[in-house]
Parts: sequence; C-alpha cells; structure tokens
Amino acid sequence: MSKKLKTNLAAYGMVLPAFMVVMLTVTYPIISAVIQSFKDEKTGSFTFSNYTYFFTEPAQLKNLLYTLMVVFLTVFIAIFVAYLLALYLRFVKSKIAKTIGTLYLLPRFVPAMCAVYAMITIIRDSGLIHRIGALFGLDITLGLMYHASGIIIMNLWFNIPFAAMMITAGLGAIPDSIIEGARDVGAGRWKTFTSMILPLSVKDVVIASTFVFMTNVGSFTTPYLMGGNAPKMLGIALFDQFNKYLAYNRSAALSVIMFLICSVSAGVYIYTNLKEQDWEK
Amino acid sequence: MFKMLNPKRFYYAVGRKKFLEFILLAVFILFFYGPLMNMLMLAFANEYTVPHVLPEVWGLKWWGYVFGQKSLVSSIIQSFTVAVITTVISMIFCIPAAYSIARFKYPGRKIFMLSFLLTNAFPKLGIYTSIAVLFYKYGLMGTYPGVIIIHMINSMMFMVWLPSSAFRSVHRQQEEAARDVGAGPIRTFFKVTLPMAMPGISVATLYTFLGSMEEAQGTMLVGLANIKTMPVAMYGIVLDSSAVQIGAVFAILLIIPSALMIFLMRKYIGPEAIAGGFKMK
Repeated sequence: MSKKLKTNLAAYGMVLPAFMVVMLTVTYPIISAVIQSFKDEKTGSFTFSNYTYFFTEPAQLKNLLYTLMVVFLTVFIAIFVAYLLALYLRFVKSKIAKTIGTLYLLPRFVPAMCAVYAMITIIRDSGLIHRIGALFGLDITLGLMYHASGIIIMNLWFNIPFAAMMITAGLGAIPDSIIEGARDVGAGRWKTFTSMILPLSVKDVVIASTFVFMTNVGSFTTPYLMGGNAPKMLGIALFDQFNKYLAYNRSAALSVIMFLICSVSAGVYIYTNLKEQDWEK
Repeated sequence: MFKMLNPKRFYYAVGRKKFLEFILLAVFILFFYGPLMNMLMLAFANEYTVPHVLPEVWGLKWWGYVFGQKSLVSSIIQSFTVAVITTVISMIFCIPAAYSIARFKYPGRKIFMLSFLLTNAFPKLGIYTSIAVLFYKYGLMGTYPGVIIIHMINSMMFMVWLPSSAFRSVHRQQEEAARDVGAGPIRTFFKVTLPMAMPGISVATLYTFLGSMEEAQGTMLVGLANIKTMPVAMYGIVLDSSAVQIGAVFAILLIIPSALMIFLMRKYIGPEAIAGGFKMK
C-alpha cells in the first residue's frame, strides 16, 4: 500500500464517524420530514395541503410575516449597533474600552433562559422600570411583555455581543499599517473608513448577519417566555403543531418552510465563507 | 469626591471624549448586566411587593423553598449526567474529524466541513421535531440516548470547526521537528500538536458542556416527562410561579456552572478563539 493511500485512509477514518453522526441525526430526519410533509395526514397519499395551510390560513400567514419582521429588525439593529461597538473596541485603546472588551464576551455564556427571565424582571408591568418610575411619581407601563418589541429587545441582548465579537475578530485582523498607510497618503477618517476598513470587514459583517438571521428564525425560548398568543413566532407555532395538535405532517411542512427560509441565508453564508478574497490567495 | 456626581462638573473634569466613553459604559452595563444584577437581588428578597424598588425584607427564604423541592435535586443530577456524557461523546467523534480536516488534503474535505454547518444552519426546532418523529419509531423518546443525541447535534459544529482552526494554527514545522528527533506520529500528536491546540479545544469543550447544560427546547420535546433537566424545570417555574423570587433563585443555580467554567478558562476565552467556530477556512 502506498504511503499516500495510507494517509488518505487514515484521514477518512477520522472524519467519517462524525460525518455519519450528522448524516443520521440531521440529514436523514430532514429528508424524511420533506417526504412526510407531502403526505396526507389520514390517507398518506400525496398532497400539497400541508403547505397551502400555512399560506392560506390567516392566523398562520400572520405568524410567518410576524416572524420575518421580528427577525429582520433584529438583524438590522443588532448588526448596526454591533458594528459601532466593534469599531470602538478596535480603535479606542482606553481602560473603558478594555473593560467593555471583556464584559461583552460573557452574555454569550449566560444560559438563554436565565437571561430572558432576568429581562422579564425588569420590563414586566410590575418590574424594576415601573417601580423606579413610581419613585418619581410616574406611572410607566411599558407593555413590552407579550409584544414584538420585548422579543426584539431580548434578541438584541443575545445578538449584539455575538455580532460585535465576530466583527471585532475581523477588524482585529486588519493590520494597523494598512490604516496608517491610508492616513499617510492623506485620506481623512471617513475616507479611510469607507475605502479600507469597511471593505475589509464586510465579509465578517455578512457572516455575522447570516448567523443572527438563522438562529432567530427558529428562536424558541424568548418567544415562549415573552411572546403573546397571537401572532406567534414560527418556532412556537411549530411546537404547538407538534406537541399540542399532534399534526406531524403539518409540522413537517412548517419545518421545511423554515428550512427554506434559512437556506437562503445559509447559501449566502457558505458563499462568503468559501470565496477567497484576492489578497488571501 | 461628591463634586463628581454632578454631571456637568464631571463633564468638564474629564473632557468630552472620556465623558462620552463613560456614558457608553453606563448604557452597556445597564442593558447587559442590569437585568442579571436585578435578578441576583431578587433571589435574596424575602418580601418584594410592588411599589418598592429594593426588597423590604432580605433573606434566604426562597433558597430554602427551592432546595426543599425534591424535583430540583433530581434535575441537577440529570443535567450534569447528560452534559458530561454529551461532552465526552462529542469529543470522541469530533476531535479526530477536526484533526483530519485541518491536516490532510483529500477529495471531499470541504463537503465534510460543510456538513457540520447543517447542524447549525437550520432552525433547531425544525430538526428536533423531524428527529422526534423518527425517535417515536425507534423507541428513543424519553430516553437518555435520545436526549444526548439532541444535545450533540447542538454542538457538533463548534466541536469540529473550533479545534480544526486550532490544529491548523500549529505549524507543521514544529511537528516535523519532533518527528526528526525520533518521536512517532502518535507521540508527536500528544506531545506537540495537542498541547498547542489546547486553547481552541478547551473553548469548544466549554461550549459543548454549557450548551448541553442550558439546552431546553429539544430536551423538553424529546425527553417527555421522563427527563427533566434544570432548564426544562425552569420553564415550568417561569410560566407558573407565584413568586418571582423562585425563578430568580433557580436561574442563579443555572448560571453557577457557566460562571465557574468561564472563570477556570478565562485565559482562553477571547473574540478570536470564539469567532474561529463560525468560520470555515
């Protein structure tokens, strides 16, 4: 046996077990869900009705649009704030910047549920903000609970640190010499930003936003604890179909719809990741 | 000292730039840490009725209540059992795969790499419901293996990508040097490659462990009533607890493992290390 073949066999031997786990636990279930989504609940014959249900039933259609609205707002606000924060962390060297640079890593490790619960203690109608308002004789009722804005605030809590971290890592890879070079030939702050920093970090911005998008389409914990009854986020709607109504074919169809929404984002993500930039080749 | 409490004096004392930085820091801490601090305070509040901002009576009353519940102790044990087994099994499957992807060039390498993205690119709940249908078929609902499989899916991407980027950053020349002085391939791996890749592997392991400790939606869906980890128990508490303090105590119990692990691994946690888990290269 040649040496080349031997190393290749060893390489495959190491990667295949993990690959098989993914195939069995993710790919196979997704494929069987796709098949099931085209089957009629009772007769098992081929049908589109599981899909048309989600696009014709007004309540379900509302859920879909509601989810897209919440997710897009989350992505835009989170990425915008995160970019500013990342710029600050990259270019300001002060004690405060250092402190924030450590503190913003931690929310990532706080169990999601604890964070949601902690936020509830602040924003619920008898929460901290209401109580502080009462101190000054104000009657503040935020009405954030069971409302889209509450969910978005919570999503921002989770996603701003994450996106800022991704972008900071990208900005950190831009050498100071490039920026100094631009300044030396007379570029102002704004020009340096638009012609050097922004293009060099756009890849990380895209990666961060696609990831924020994908994780929020199917978010569950936040809307489960903070969301209202109608309209619902798709994650909750799916849970209801599966657990409450035991409508397995419909829930399979809804899963596929969510997969399709995410696959657009996943496609962009993969494309950005695999596209090597000219200077990296 | 008290002069500084007047914002105007403070502004002129430290200058515009510093002043803005302090405001940024204050907003950052209020938004990201305020809720957690408030929750910490509530956990030690025996009495906390509406108009009061601070608890009227401090004490450990609710800790006694929570520890008096039998289900709590069992949920802590179940959480740790599941998390430890999940972490060990993922390491066995994923670390060799990471090494193979990092070190060898063979056809299909990029495809293997991409396959691990599947576990994170799609809405989790969609994958969980699709798997649950199959679990019913094979009798895995409500069993430990079923729950552990769910937890593994969650972390496979990090467990492959992060160590893989860590392995790649170990210079080949260092391995070759060890081989030159007579070390075999296995010894080289354990004495040279593994220790140098340890930061990446540690962060990945931390992620897997904490991810498993906080996983709730999948466990709730697949574990049925048999397996109630701490986060699953927490859902119940949040949704139907009469006193806000019970949830606060429980949430803090849930945060303790994360806090402890982060403290132990603080050396390794940084934006570059974490961001490596979200990029393919």
